[in-house]
Amino acid sequence: MKLKEIERTAVQAWSPANHHPIYLATGTSAQQLDASFSTNATLEIFEVDFRDPSLDMKQKGTLPASNRFHKLIWGNFGNGSPESSGVIIGGGDNGVLTMYSVHHILVSKSEPVIGQTEKHSGPVRALDFNPFQSNLLASGANDSEIFIWDLNNFSVPMTPGAKSQPHEDISVVSWNRQVQHILSSAHPSGKAVVWDLRKNEPIIKVSDHSNRMHCSGMAWHPEVATQLVLSSEDDRLPVIQIWDLRFATSPLSQLEGHTRGVLSVSWCQADPELLLSSAKDNRILCWNPSMGEVVYELPIRSQWCFDVQWCPRNPSVFSAATFDGWINVYSVMGGNLEAQQKTQADKISSSFNNLDPFGTGQILPPLQVPEQVAQTTLIPPLKKPPKWIRRPVGVSFAFGGKLISFGLTKAPGQQMQQTYPHQVFISQVTTETEFLLRSRELQMALQSGNLLDYCQGKIQTAKLPFDENLWNFLKVNLEQESRTKLLKLLGYSKEDLQKKITSCLSNGIPDKQPLPEADETNAAQPDQLLINSSDDVAAVSSSSAFFDNLIPQNMSTLEIPVTEDTDGLISQALLLGNFEAAVELCMRAERFADAIILAIAGGENLLKETQKRYFAKHKTKLSLLLSSVVQQNWQDIVCTCDLQSWKEALAILLTYSKHEDYTHLCDMLGARLESEGDAALSNDACLCYISSGNVERLVECWVKNHETSSPLALHSLQMNQGL
Amino acid sequence: MIHDAQMDYYGTRLATCSSDRSVKIFDVRNGGQILIADLRGHEGPVWQVAWAHPMYGNILASCSYDRKVIIWKEENGTWEKTYEYTGHDSSVNSVCWAPHDYGLILACGSSDGAISLLSYTGDGQWEVKKISNAHTIGCNAVSWAPAVVPGSLIEQPSGQKPNYIKRFASGGCDNLVKIWKEEDGQWKEEQKLEAHSDWVRDVAWAPSIGLPTSTIASCSQDGRVFIWTCDDASGNSWSPKLLHKFNDVVWHVSWSITANILAVSGGDNKVSTAACHVFGRAMMRQALVTFV
Repeated sequence: MKLKEIERTAVQAWSPANHHPIYLATGTSAQQLDASFSTNATLEIFEVDFRDPSLDMKQKGTLPASNRFHKLIWGNFGNGSPESSGVIIGGGDNGVLTMYSVHHILVSKSEPVIGQTEKHSGPVRALDFNPFQSNLLASGANDSEIFIWDLNNFSVPMTPGAKSQPHEDISVVSWNRQVQHILSSAHPSGKAVVWDLRKNEPIIKVSDHSNRMHCSGMAWHPEVATQLVLSSEDDRLPVIQIWDLRFATSPLSQLEGHTRGVLSVSWCQADPELLLSSAKDNRILCWNPSMGEVVYELPIRSQWCFDVQWCPRNPSVFSAATFDGWINVYSVMGGNLEAQQKTQADKISSSFNNLDPFGTGQILPPLQVPEQVAQTTLIPPLKKPPKWIRRPVGVSFAFGGKLISFGLTKAPGQQMQQTYPHQVFISQVTTETEFLLRSRELQMALQSGNLLDYCQGKIQTAKLPFDENLWNFLKVNLEQESRTKLLKLLGYSKEDLQKKITSCLSNGIPDKQPLPEADETNAAQPDQLLINSSDDVAAVSSSSAFFDNLIPQNMSTLEIPVTEDTDGLISQALLLGNFEAAVELCMRAERFADAIILAIAGGENLLKETQKRYFAKHKTKLSLLLSSVVQQNWQDIVCTCDLQSWKEALAILLTYSKHEDYTHLCDMLGARLESEGDAALSNDACLCYISSGNVERLVECWVKNHETSSPLALHSLQMNQGL
Repeated sequence: MIHDAQMDYYGTRLATCSSDRSVKIFDVRNGGQILIADLRGHEGPVWQVAWAHPMYGNILASCSYDRKVIIWKEENGTWEKTYEYTGHDSSVNSVCWAPHDYGLILACGSSDGAISLLSYTGDGQWEVKKISNAHTIGCNAVSWAPAVVPGSLIEQPSGQKPNYIKRFASGGCDNLVKIWKEEDGQWKEEQKLEAHSDWVRDVAWAPSIGLPTSTIASCSQDGRVFIWTCDDASGNSWSPKLLHKFNDVVWHVSWSITANILAVSGGDNKVSTAACHVFGRAMMRQALVTFV
């Protein structure tokens, strides 16, 4: 797929791999002349911007050069400083080697030429930068001259050894990609010489003895240090030979596919299984050297391509310079060529402007450019996916915090081939390990049922008091009798309260008379302490309902005083359901109303006791009556009432007393009236006897009071008897 | 060589694809691994697999170097090819299913620079829309935006069905991340995000819970991982933040379901996860797993 093109009769050089954005430098070619026969030389730098879908490249810098170039290379030298973008070295005629600073060309401030030498004797056709040391440059020219230059000291070169015999032109020099002191040079006679710079002499000469090769191109294997390829320009043997220096007498294999001589080769640094070659049969082929097969073919239309180069930074892109004066940038990743043909037609049409050259006043139809290639040229992509597209490692998240990952194994030692495992790992991502630990503990505790210990453990490790309380509550909840223990946790235990109350009562408000009933109630209290909590619970719930009803509508918020004074003690006692204590406290504090009310809630017995005590304390006339009525103590009334109010007493008896007691009590009243009262009252005693139905006493009383016996009275007696 | 491994929605099945041209499906419940299916049909290494939402059934899409996208479906316990798409001129590098609210739509990114969108219209028919020249030398990754209107967590939902704007992000060999929006049935390039200096290998749009921030993670050949955040709901201003520069090419980024952890896998043989806060502040937590 063609990406970019420019029309230049030039040699080209890509910017190095670590340089961003990608640039292409072109220098007017010395071996070609364009149609205008001009010998002006310019060095230009273009930006290859893939974001721009058009075919043009933007020119970023230009510089007129003193001479034309045979070879151009771009190196990293001086890339340490932030403003430098490397250097371009151009080899020209007459042994001229010029060094340009790229940054100065781009910015065009100061003089970009930073060095020039003329040490070589002929045109410098071969140049290469050392991939490990960016200041070392190798150059080759006529007479088997090879010089090694140190860019820091550009004036004095070194030689790798004695010149190889016979003297001939050097077509290519190339540094080894794995070992930094190995250099090789290719000669048109078909041999390649490998130099070792440490020993300063050639170590091997590689040549095909059939002697038909005319070496046009040479490249080292990017990964295997001992392999290189040589390409032959000879039409009789248009092959690319792969040599391995470990066996240097005959080539390892030969790539045969071109029909005419191969003009240039380029080995992709990113994927060693891609080797590009261009030949005089108008084709650019991409080979897989290890398999020896063609993986990609790019037909060019018309002219030979004399220079192909992979882009170091963008591994799917390569540039091809052709003899018809075009430099094109292609991508191996497929796509089609039709876009290119269309723009050609458009260009021609637009330059003629659809004008009517014949003056017939009609607009010409759009120009049809005869296509040499079929309209939809779909170039199939590389047969085998290149290394840079194969994803070796990946990771993805899945539901539940799982992480799926797969990847390369680390190659041990010097092993070149990375083993590709067939394993996928599923792992669990835990971001909160502490949380997980705790949940695991909880889970274990739940399973074993041993929750009490778990809570205990939590209590001990709790840092905040709130946490401790929390865990205490939880623990207690799990135990039996949770409610009492919870109460205890709250700080309200029955025993403590009891102690408090007794101490308060003994020290506190002294009451007027320690009544015997009061002592009884005090003695009764320890027994009542042992009342089952369930009773209290029932009492609490009923009393709370009771209290709810007592609360008036618009009462302010309920404050429960828990201080140590009487109020507080009372409420504490209430909280625990200890009504006796509460009542006791109320009585002591002379809050009789509260006491009675509480007593009602506290049960029948408590009520009676409280009533007794209350009445004991209050001694008014009415209170006695009240107490008797409430306590249903008629006997007291009968015995102690004032005789003048015997009618009232009888009335009470009539109203309240039960049938069994009634007669007895009436008799008592009557007896009292008789014995204690005077004559008038004795008559009233008869009335009592009548109401009680006690005939004998009636008779006695009546006889006593009435001496005469009259038949009327006897008659009434008999009636009574009958009754 | 395995190129991708994805779990399905519920985490019960694992699909893997590899250079041996096959797609394998395993049942991985309770830590076991049972091979359920070995799907053949591709003629080149298979680069990626993607599970569709379970409401459509058990559907898996795979894309391969042979320029094909194949959609597989499980019927009555057996897996079969239901659709094969061959409309690309070059290797198809990435497939991604759209959120299920949009229907059954698959986006495929290819090395010929085009992105195709396959929509299921019913009855075994698929409609194809192609965006040509999305990325000049090839598209490496596609990722859909979640089907949540940004800001819907904070603003009260209006009660009517929200009209979703379909968006997805793509990363390509032109070092760009592009955001595409559907307008009137046509896909238009909405944004171009430039920050990488080499091929963008993967993009991933973070799942959203309705907060007004949208987040995209992108990783590249140059070893850098960028987090792009857009704070306004209209999606116009994206700002990048460099998460980390690794020593080697970063191949894949993937967000966790709650979008607060990003898993990054790179060529330096390490899998790292980073915790990222929703509001754009990222913290690195290094190397959970190292392959040996």
